[in-house]
Amino acid sequence: MALRRQKGVTALLVGPAAAFFLLLLVLPLVVVVIYSFGERGPAGGYTPAFTFDNYLNIASRGQAFLNTLMMAPLGTLLCALVAYPMAYYLAVKAPARWRVMLLVLIIVPFWASQLLRIYAWLLILGNRGIPSLLELVGLEDVRLVNTRFAVLLGMVYGYLPLMIFPIYVSLEKLDKRLLEASADLGAGAWRTFRQVTLPLSLPGVATGSLLVFILLMGEFIIPALLGGGKVFFIGNALVDLFLQSRNWPFGAAVAVSIVAIMLATIAVYMRFLLGRNQLRQEALI
Amino acid sequence: MRWYAAAIYVFLYLPIALIVIFSFNAGKYAMDWQGFSVEWYFKAFANPFALKALRTSLVVGLWTAVLATSLGTLAALGLERMSGWPRRASDGLIYIAIMVPGVVIGIATLIAFVTAFNLANPFLEGLFGDAAPRLAMGLPTVIGAHVLFNLAVVILIVRSRLAGLDRSLIEASEDLYATPLGTFRQVVLPMLAPAILASFLLSFTFSFEDFIIAFFVSGPDSTLPIYIFSSIRRGITPEVNAIGSVVLAVSLTLLIMAQFLLRDRTGSRGARGDQA
Amino acid sequence: MSKDTKPISREKFIEELLRYRKGSVSRRHFLGVTGLGLATAVLGTAMPGLRPRPAYAAGELGDTLNFTTWPNYFAQANLDQFTKDTGVNINVAVFGSNEEMLAKLQAGGTGWDVFVPTNYTISTYQSLDLIEPLDLAQVPNFDESTQEARFIGEAKIGGQIYAVPKDWGTTGYVVNTDKVKGEMTSWRHFWDRTRDDLSGRVMVHDYQLTTIGNALKYFGYSFNSVDPNELAEAEKLLIEAKPHLFAINSDYQPGMRAGDAWLSVAWTGDASQLKRDMPEIDYVLGTEGGEIWTDFYAIPKGAQNRPAAYAFINYMLDPEVNAREVLAHGYPSTDSKTNALLPQEVLTDPILYPAQELLSALEFGAAATLTDPLRAELMARFKSA
Repeated sequence: MALRRQKGVTALLVGPAAAFFLLLLVLPLVVVVIYSFGERGPAGGYTPAFTFDNYLNIASRGQAFLNTLMMAPLGTLLCALVAYPMAYYLAVKAPARWRVMLLVLIIVPFWASQLLRIYAWLLILGNRGIPSLLELVGLEDVRLVNTRFAVLLGMVYGYLPLMIFPIYVSLEKLDKRLLEASADLGAGAWRTFRQVTLPLSLPGVATGSLLVFILLMGEFIIPALLGGGKVFFIGNALVDLFLQSRNWPFGAAVAVSIVAIMLATIAVYMRFLLGRNQLRQEALI
Repeated sequence: MRWYAAAIYVFLYLPIALIVIFSFNAGKYAMDWQGFSVEWYFKAFANPFALKALRTSLVVGLWTAVLATSLGTLAALGLERMSGWPRRASDGLIYIAIMVPGVVIGIATLIAFVTAFNLANPFLEGLFGDAAPRLAMGLPTVIGAHVLFNLAVVILIVRSRLAGLDRSLIEASEDLYATPLGTFRQVVLPMLAPAILASFLLSFTFSFEDFIIAFFVSGPDSTLPIYIFSSIRRGITPEVNAIGSVVLAVSLTLLIMAQFLLRDRTGSRGARGDQA
Repeated sequence: MSKDTKPISREKFIEELLRYRKGSVSRRHFLGVTGLGLATAVLGTAMPGLRPRPAYAAGELGDTLNFTTWPNYFAQANLDQFTKDTGVNINVAVFGSNEEMLAKLQAGGTGWDVFVPTNYTISTYQSLDLIEPLDLAQVPNFDESTQEARFIGEAKIGGQIYAVPKDWGTTGYVVNTDKVKGEMTSWRHFWDRTRDDLSGRVMVHDYQLTTIGNALKYFGYSFNSVDPNELAEAEKLLIEAKPHLFAINSDYQPGMRAGDAWLSVAWTGDASQLKRDMPEIDYVLGTEGGEIWTDFYAIPKGAQNRPAAYAFINYMLDPEVNAREVLAHGYPSTDSKTNALLPQEVLTDPILYPAQELLSALEFGAAATLTDPLRAELMARFKSA
């Protein structure tokens, strides 16, 4: 009875959040969609019109879409590959009394400005950083900054903690007795991992990947700082369209496209990769 | 395995070590070591704009955390009571909110605010004449966009905790004739506490660190990330490193204190488990 | 160069200036040694602008000024002195292109009090109602008669002055001659070698006017062309060159200083500043031409701290202050009063004052380029290519 009472109470509970969503998400997105059919004003900005030109022009940002659609999944994958052993160590191998401390150390970097941390990589990868060390061992003329490699590295660096945590949580929930049982039954360490540990930790991997993927798809700072304006993501193209070339309608069309692509990608991801219902539910927190 | 973990920590902390080390640089350029000095710490604390940006970020972060956590918790409780299409529509909206990238939220809210202000300002002027209040970008617009960005995440975190709640406790409370509010206060709220705490910390962190949304809608009030971005473009000095180091030191202190206070109560699981 | 015959060398001047700043010598010593005292005394009687600066009561101007300018473009010492004199703290923001400034102003709510637009943008700002005509009574240090006419024309619209000149300069490129051998005198050299032996070591501005303009110069077209066919050729060149660039960024000093970049499109002052610390840097104006420009101080419509904005502009135009600016940022002044205070060495510096035959090939930016949709979209395509 308690859970299905007056509709008024429900409305009061949901109302404020709903108002936020309507005013600051739905309404702005509707405006963006309307703008995406408009024309650039004579000095930039927006002039009302009804045209599909902006969508037809999307191809001119093909490379930015391609960069994003290649590097966001790649970055997510690398992130997961780097994070998994770390999460495994923290959940299974790390000494219990150090565990909290070690976990905290993973999140601390988040409190030193992301911008500054990425900027620090610029110094590490720049001419006076790693390349000058490589020169000592005879590797001349190595260029790291403003490359895809630098951007990828920044992406893994920036979002590693966000990947480690969900995997850690799912591994930590894992009943250690299962591992013992598997070993008792004669399975080798690798087989135990493949047949017991990995399947049970997949929800964590799925959650982490989704989280990191979503953030990477809209990334701006990392390509801007470590890509030197050369490795452009959709996020950079969008900022450019609004803050340099002042083509709001085209920017709106690009924004609509990226949201559509994300919704489609994630829907496919959930349907095929996470077909199993239970996994899907656990994966979404 | 241990070595791998050690390597990861080095990877995570190398840039931070650089930031802290160069905050003690006597030279003018962030990357050019000229000897040890603490002068940039004094300069940072004497720089009204750095301090103002820090304050702005704290204010925005706290408002965002309070609003997103309270509205999100209420909404999660309300959604429990909903069914049928309103429930499905709300769920859809929440997932869309999570999937829209920050840069699109920034742009969409910018366009919406500019359009709304352009409509409202002439109207206000007609109403009040020259003394009319002019609507413009500022703290409220950043807070609004940040709350929006965090709201869906908070709802999901609280809801996952609600789903794991032991219903029998609520029923027991009702059987003992507790009022609904009493049940809520004495049973539901304590059980939700870890999720609420996690939501609060998470929204604060997201807001405090956000650059891209604030970049579009902050107006003249720089948040700390915007101030730092602008310093990077101006030619970064160790002053910015000093600010970063201070923020890091303060949050570390708070963290250690919190760890100390919560030691017996939550341990390592509770709050953080839900954060994922 | 016969250094001894000059009253004071540039190095010496700066050294004295620093000593004065630090307070280890008195103002009188400083003015005496540098010759500025004499100049000030002589000029002060003749020119109203050199009267002692007006003193401001505490708080009269507020405590904040939001100043938006370009990279490496002011003397911190001057800004600090202004804060000391008036109690107004200056919040400096740096932008890399006029288009970016325009975009911010169009979106509204910038909070800027003073900003630095380039000559070709002023008419657009005026017609979009984004800047206000200046009340020259509050800028007594601006005197049209001591300004070089060719530099200030675009600030005057309908008989009103919308902006006062900060300095002028040229757009060429800087070369690190330790790394780059061979003749570098033209935009042809610049773009050809970018795609050849200098691959990965070249920077261009994140700024449509100079990046597209200098690509147009490769073909001998006007720096300001908005002709679709000419722009298409420039785009082809830019897209071809892109994989060979080190970065697209209007702040190229860090890249040049760190040795990551060896060649970069550059403005006068950055070349002067780089040359000061790295003698191996050369500044080249392409023989085909390129850009000559004036930058201005202007006040956006609706500025919140107008009194401080006027006080600041007037302060920066004070010849003594302006001379210190020139010595710090290395851009030539448009004001003969300021030039009168500068050492001969600065006034004959070939970076600041290029040879006449190079200068005469240069063009001022054209207003049409600021809003031209083709150029805007070309630049955006180039960056996201």
